[in-house]
Amino acid sequence: MSDADVLEELPGDLMIWVLIVSELLVFGAGLVAFLAVRITDSTGFAEAQAVLNRTGAGINTVVLVTSGFLAAQAVLWRNALRRGAARIALIAAALLGIVFLIIKGAEFAHKSALGITWESHPFFTFYYLLTGFHAAHVVAGVVLLLLVAWRDTSRNIEAAAAFWHMVDLVWVLLFPVIYLLQ
Amino acid sequence: MTARHLMMAWLMLVGLSLGSTLLSLPVMDHAPAAALGLGVLLIAGFKARIILTRYLGLADAPFWRRGFDISLTLFCALLLGLYLAPLML
Repeated sequence: MSDADVLEELPGDLMIWVLIVSELLVFGAGLVAFLAVRITDSTGFAEAQAVLNRTGAGINTVVLVTSGFLAAQAVLWRNALRRGAARIALIAAALLGIVFLIIKGAEFAHKSALGITWESHPFFTFYYLLTGFHAAHVVAGVVLLLLVAWRDTSRNIEAAAAFWHMVDLVWVLLFPVIYLLQ
Repeated sequence: MTARHLMMAWLMLVGLSLGSTLLSLPVMDHAPAAALGLGVLLIAGFKARIILTRYLGLADAPFWRRGFDISLTLFCALLLGLYLAPLML
């Protein structure tokens, strides 16, 4: 297989894959740093983690993978020339992104009410940085999904859906490391 | 990629998300930490693979799927090693 064949095999735009890999590397480095720092104070990290709401984060995981499903479905529908259905799926995916942000906001507000800041413990420094940076990507993704529901070319929808799946992909790696590994 | 493939992928992702959350419940506290960590990271790696192959379409790109599979496996192994390090020190 030639280099050109290999690149043509890649679904969607090459640049969106460059973005996906870049983001995975950034978040991956953050998760590795998190677990490396945890080695120096595993008890403190476990105590800090116990404050987190695992159920809320678990619900948010289901919300995000469902939103990803709708975005992927929108690509299929747009390619089948079902523009109306694709637009509805994109708007529904964006609304689920907003649900994710509301649950995440409630989680941050709860920590704030407990007096927990990013300086309280190294665990929370990573927690706020990684989940906050991810939430910023969710905001960008919601805007993109709504934008391509309006400007609904197949190429636009594929690019926005790929970005949204990257946000999904980061969360399914971030969620178990921050919330579940005790 | 078909609508049926997507639906199956979504159902598996929801099921695996619930499964990994169950592994972290207090009732699982008696289980060895290493086994729980391995289970949680295996599920995470599997979920990531489903998103890559089904949602992002790498099912139709075997060269890239293999590359991501290898990278993802190495990354999860690194995370597991770092997670288990305090138990070994």
